[in-house]
Amino acid sequence: MESPDPSAQASEDYREAFELLAKMTQSFATAMDVKTTLDAALASMTELLEADEGSLWLVEPESGEVVCAASVGLHPIDGLRLPPGQGIVGRSVRECACQKVLDVAEDPHFSSLADERSGVVTRSLICSPMAFGDEVLGAVEMVNKRSGDGCFSERDAHLLKVLAYSAGLGIANTRLASAKAENERVRHEMELAAEIQRGLLPEARPSPFPVYGINIPARTVSGDFFDIELLERGRIAFCLGDVSGKGMNAALLMAKTASLYRCLVKSIEKPGELLEQLNAEIFETSTRGMFVTMAAGVYDPATGIASIANAGHEPPLHATVCGQFATIAAEAPPLGILEDCDFLQVDLPLEGGSLILCSDGVTEALLDDGSYLGSDGLQNLARRFSDLPLAERIEAIARETGKLRLRDDLTLLGVSDAERLIESDPAMRLCFPASADQLSAVRKAVGECAGAIGFAGEAACDVVAAVDEACQNIIRHAYGEEGMGEIELEIDRDGDHLVILLRDFAPPIDPSRVKPRELSDLRPGGLGTFLMKELMDSVEFIEPAPGCGNLLRMTKRIPGE
Amino acid sequence: MEHETQERGDALVVILAGEVDLEHSPTAREVLLAAVSHKRKVLVDLAGVEYIDSSGVASLVEAYKIAKNQGQGFALVAVNPAALRVLRLARLDRVFSIFDKLEEAL
Repeated sequence: MESPDPSAQASEDYREAFELLAKMTQSFATAMDVKTTLDAALASMTELLEADEGSLWLVEPESGEVVCAASVGLHPIDGLRLPPGQGIVGRSVRECACQKVLDVAEDPHFSSLADERSGVVTRSLICSPMAFGDEVLGAVEMVNKRSGDGCFSERDAHLLKVLAYSAGLGIANTRLASAKAENERVRHEMELAAEIQRGLLPEARPSPFPVYGINIPARTVSGDFFDIELLERGRIAFCLGDVSGKGMNAALLMAKTASLYRCLVKSIEKPGELLEQLNAEIFETSTRGMFVTMAAGVYDPATGIASIANAGHEPPLHATVCGQFATIAAEAPPLGILEDCDFLQVDLPLEGGSLILCSDGVTEALLDDGSYLGSDGLQNLARRFSDLPLAERIEAIARETGKLRLRDDLTLLGVSDAERLIESDPAMRLCFPASADQLSAVRKAVGECAGAIGFAGEAACDVVAAVDEACQNIIRHAYGEEGMGEIELEIDRDGDHLVILLRDFAPPIDPSRVKPRELSDLRPGGLGTFLMKELMDSVEFIEPAPGCGNLLRMTKRIPGE
Repeated sequence: MEHETQERGDALVVILAGEVDLEHSPTAREVLLAAVSHKRKVLVDLAGVEYIDSSGVASLVEAYKIAKNQGQGFALVAVNPAALRVLRLARLDRVFSIFDKLEEAL
């Protein structure tokens, strides 16, 4: 019998090794269950290298211990732990180098822990690290060669090294795959959370409805919210809030605040009192210095008055029918900061105009030059789309803002008083520049309107003269040197009275300073206010909301009624 | 608003017509102040004034005070009812001398 040709034997060994390598690589590439794959790979390696025992070890990143993840042999040692650096396996991992020990008795580094567990007496072993990039994932160890002199050859060590690296690649791959699956799971849960959040927002009501809101989250979940609730007698409660911070914690506080709001608004209708209650609740339970800014209000479609309270939120914007804008400043700190806090309520007659609330995601959207859109930018958008019905207008503003670089959630809410005025249809509404050359046309229009309501002759002239004098006061005193602004004039009847409303957008004047002059004092000027009071039954300045100009109301009984 | 200043004997007659409102009262004021500056009797014809507001009245008052200080005569003539109502409301009908016809005032 011829002795086997050593080179033929060698090529046979490598062929088997390559086949195993191919099989392992393939099974790792498709593996979702690492354990089964590792068991199979280790069994094949043990067989190929003709070892009594084989074991595969993984490093635990936190502790640095190596843990037996798979073993082949008489008694499995799966789960066995070795302290960092201990044993030949530990040394292989630490040095990221292949170890070949012909007689363990002569290697002081040898740990007998595995032998004690498996009942096997280790004589010789080879151990190769498994690495992926710079990271050593673990090691594969083969114990006691069954054939020949019982010692592993240099070639065995080489084979093990190749196989171990392939296994390392496989393990890294399955880990990435499971991390991806975990990400997927988290993403799915975020989507569920976002769905619950969307459920907290009110559904759009069939238009025309005087209040409309929109929320576009920057991430899956949002820290912004708004709500719209119908109250008794047709009034509508609304709010828009923004939780500090982003991500899941902000989303949870948003959910809590939105739920509290919806619960409280059913029993507390005054926005200031409602914010006070919300503040107390949030202060008691908020953590990590989180807070909520929020503007809340109630709009009464019967009167056109919006009552607003503001807890540190972006100032609501009042857009008048003339296209003028006024902001209603925040009067109180955000919710959750001070234990006891009063929230001032402002009653703002919208007078056919609208109110726009937004989160800072809108005003802090970035323009191309890196500056913020700001309140001015929002005003420009609101002006640009002022002809659209409310819902379309809010959507258009959100769409245009959405084209900018957004850094935060985008939330907008609008309240429109336009429908009320269409329904109530006042006898006359005029909007004109505060300029002397307008007054002739205004007098003509007022004269016709007064005539239609029932004023004739001298009485009609009196109404015309009173409006003219009131306009003069605005032109000369309210706007004065500041230049031209607008005047809004509305004439209507209320029962048996004619009611005239005149609004300007100049800095507030002190009504107590607008006094009729002493008649004995023959100075020119100062006569207008006196004449107005002579010509009309009542003349009063209505205290406007801060920053909202001046409002004058005059009435006169309709002759013959 | 239209205006014209005529000489009638030793008096100057300022004729105002139309609307003496905020837009036009500066012109009315100039015309009236120019008239009283001549130290002659000034008569203001308001027959054609359909509307006068407080600023228009104020320019009449200003001219009246200058005339009075300089010892000149100053009177309103043929005041349109609409303008007369404003003067009455302002209690100025007792301050100004008012004549129905220009001839009475000359």
